[in-house]
Amino acid sequence: MSAFHRLAALAVPFTLTAALHAQANPPASAPTPDLSDPEVAHVAVTANSIDIDAAKFAETRTHNAAVKQFAATMITDHSAVNAQAAALAKQLGVTPADNAVSQSLQSGAAEARKKLEPLSGAAFDHAYIAHEVAYHQAVLDAIDKVLIPTTENAELKKLLEDVRPAVAAHLEHAKTLSTQLGGTKAKTK
Amino acid sequence: MIAVVVLLLAAASRTHTVEIRGMEFHPAELTVAVGDTIVWINRDIVPHTATAGGGAGSQGGHTKWDTGALTQDKTGRYVAQRAGVVRYSCTFHPTMHGKLTVREAH
Repeated sequence: MSAFHRLAALAVPFTLTAALHAQANPPASAPTPDLSDPEVAHVAVTANSIDIDAAKFAETRTHNAAVKQFAATMITDHSAVNAQAAALAKQLGVTPADNAVSQSLQSGAAEARKKLEPLSGAAFDHAYIAHEVAYHQAVLDAIDKVLIPTTENAELKKLLEDVRPAVAAHLEHAKTLSTQLGGTKAKTK
Repeated sequence: MIAVVVLLLAAASRTHTVEIRGMEFHPAELTVAVGDTIVWINRDIVPHTATAGGGAGSQGGHTKWDTGALTQDKTGRYVAQRAGVVRYSCTFHPTMHGKLTVREAH
């Protein structure tokens, strides 16, 4: 799978499985996005903002204490990372530059929201947390395979490396919740 | 008299530092004596807590303490009150675990 396809997976987490399948059968000549540092910064900020927005939406929908707490942590953590990214960008004199990857992330987020919008109760909790599992997995893959390798500035690279364990912890947290909610969903069926 | 005893205890007690980085407590397991101070310093970008007896995944039994939210480079401290083993966690991140073994003071 090319870097482009990995990022497509990041943009639309629900198609992650399909994207991973594509990874096993890479197309012969897939384009690879050559992201500049300002573009990497923009992708990072966009990825954080998307998860903050999803969590804010979840806070208005969920009645589950564990899901509420997860959402609150997502808002706190991704806001802290974005504050750090903004400070670093300012310090480096870098203006984050919009790009195709950020745009596909945003359209993916809009699509995900459309799927969550009609849901409530346990069905919402289940879908939101399943989305968070897929999203954090996709972001982790993008950090490892696209963002860190493409970044040239040492400080920006270090920021991505520093953020990685938090994304990995969020993924584990979401997976644990997903397992716990599996039972909840079965009960409401 | 009490002041002297307190001073003697203070003189004998030690301070231990647990660094929080990469979403882990370093060291994750620590043995201290009653009266020792444990200082947690958060080196991560995201806020953390060290919480026993109430946080997610903690099994502190009757022992309850909480550093509260520590933002980057902030410290929280706890003075070990009684002997025993206390498992603690971060309220925000249930994947994070620490173990504090408190032995009787000399």
